[in-house]
Amino acid sequence: MSQRQEATRRGARKPQRRAGGGGRAWLRHHRAMLGDSALRLIKRPVATLLTMLAIAIALILPAGLWLALDSARLLDAELDESATLTVYFDAGVDESGAMTLAGQIGSQPGVAGTRLITAAEGLAEFQQTLGVDDALTQLEDNPLPASVVVTPENPDPAEVQALSQQLQKLDGVDEVRLDLAWLDRLQQLAEVGQRVALALALLFGLGVLLVVGNTVRLAVESRRQEIEVVTLIGATHAFVRRPFLYSGAWYGLGGGILALAILALGGNWLAAPVAALAQSYGAHFALPSLGLTNSAFLLFFSTLLGWLGAWLAVGRHLADIKPR
Amino acid sequence: MIAFEHVGKRYGGRFEALADINFRVGRGEMVFLTGHSGAGKSSLLRLIMRLERPSRGRVLVAGHDLDRLHISQVPYYRRQIGVVFQDHQLLFDRDIFSNVALPLTIQGIEPVDAARRVRAALDKVGLLHRERALPIELSTGEQQRVGIARAVVNKPALLLADEPTGNLDPQLSTDIMRLFEDFNRIGTTVMVASHDLALIARLRHRVLELREGRLVNDEVAA
Repeated sequence: MSQRQEATRRGARKPQRRAGGGGRAWLRHHRAMLGDSALRLIKRPVATLLTMLAIAIALILPAGLWLALDSARLLDAELDESATLTVYFDAGVDESGAMTLAGQIGSQPGVAGTRLITAAEGLAEFQQTLGVDDALTQLEDNPLPASVVVTPENPDPAEVQALSQQLQKLDGVDEVRLDLAWLDRLQQLAEVGQRVALALALLFGLGVLLVVGNTVRLAVESRRQEIEVVTLIGATHAFVRRPFLYSGAWYGLGGGILALAILALGGNWLAAPVAALAQSYGAHFALPSLGLTNSAFLLFFSTLLGWLGAWLAVGRHLADIKPR
Repeated sequence: MIAFEHVGKRYGGRFEALADINFRVGRGEMVFLTGHSGAGKSSLLRLIMRLERPSRGRVLVAGHDLDRLHISQVPYYRRQIGVVFQDHQLLFDRDIFSNVALPLTIQGIEPVDAARRVRAALDKVGLLHRERALPIELSTGEQQRVGIARAVVNKPALLLADEPTGNLDPQLSTDIMRLFEDFNRIGTTVMVASHDLALIARLRHRVLELREGRLVNDEVAA
């Protein structure tokens, strides 16, 4: 419309001018369609917002899961520092022997600290964590050996491994167990989580395509006559497709912005209880946010998805629209 | 300008819409295409517009063998043809000016240049004062004239009209036909499909008559 008014205003006085080069005309149409498609969306705010919201939700689920995994990774890094070794003594070592042995271990190079768990303490802890009082009270002897939890000076896995071999050689030591196993498991769990996030991202990306595709399909249907007419008077497919591609891109961008806003809001909402929870474990932990790069990536990706969804839908439906 | 060589068109393998059509229309000619509805007028026009391809024979328009025209070239080919539809096919969501400017917009003509040409076309059909009106505000006859302005705005070498006076009273029909004659006078090749035989007889141009898909008459109306 503004283009027309401009033409009206200037055309009245200025002398004729040659048609611009193909590139300029192309650029002009792109600019016109960029504005035109945005205007069409703004004219129907509720429908537009609903579509964008659907896209936003589809984006939030994988992005949210990714953030959760990211925070798990942070937690993971912190836990790495508290990697410990558990040294189990031979069953024959009595309580005084255990104390001596613990002292001996404490003086080894590479050991930062030790905590002795006597056989009795071990049994009590076991009963408490497993809740199997009855079963264990049936036993006449305590089947558990005494043990020492060793904190290494250097948490590097290779160093810890070396230390464990060194401790293994001591007299009275039955077994040294690295408590890294559960860390390993956590990491594997994180790996699973990552794959789930990726699968979700793929699924919901497909969802975005479908949402945009369906919306654009309706838009194509409602402008069917226009498409027929312009095709009859020599519009190329690219020309016909252009406004729809732009509206698809707008939907994607709008959905992306909404997703970021909702994620930020949700992060704020969760921040206080998460901090309280972390505090109760004596840890300091803040929810990670997407950050500038990832936010930009999300917007780029959602815009691209919107564009692609529109492209697929228009391509399919243009083939159906044959001028009568 | 237009040449049909043994052109046949079948739909669905059985119904024969056109059979062995042969004729030539020279550059700058004005020709009427008549026949009952279903005689094949629309099919013939659709072949010229390259909306369909013949089942047999060749259609040549402005030096193009339409069967050899690559799909990507079709839009550019269509820009050389102005088409007037019976139901004028205006876009009701924009004003008269934008409707007439549509072919120029599609071709990427500079807005300043386009505005000048749109005014010239609207002036020609006597609707320059209505350029800001919406199509819905216009009478049927005026809407048809806007359709004509849109068809001629990019000065096509060939102007096709499919029952352009179908919904108009005799006086308006005559006006519209006179308009086509004006464009023909400045060198445009014009082909008008119409079954308004009385009107056609008065205008004394060459008439191609179709009957059941065959060309049965090719003569200047007496």
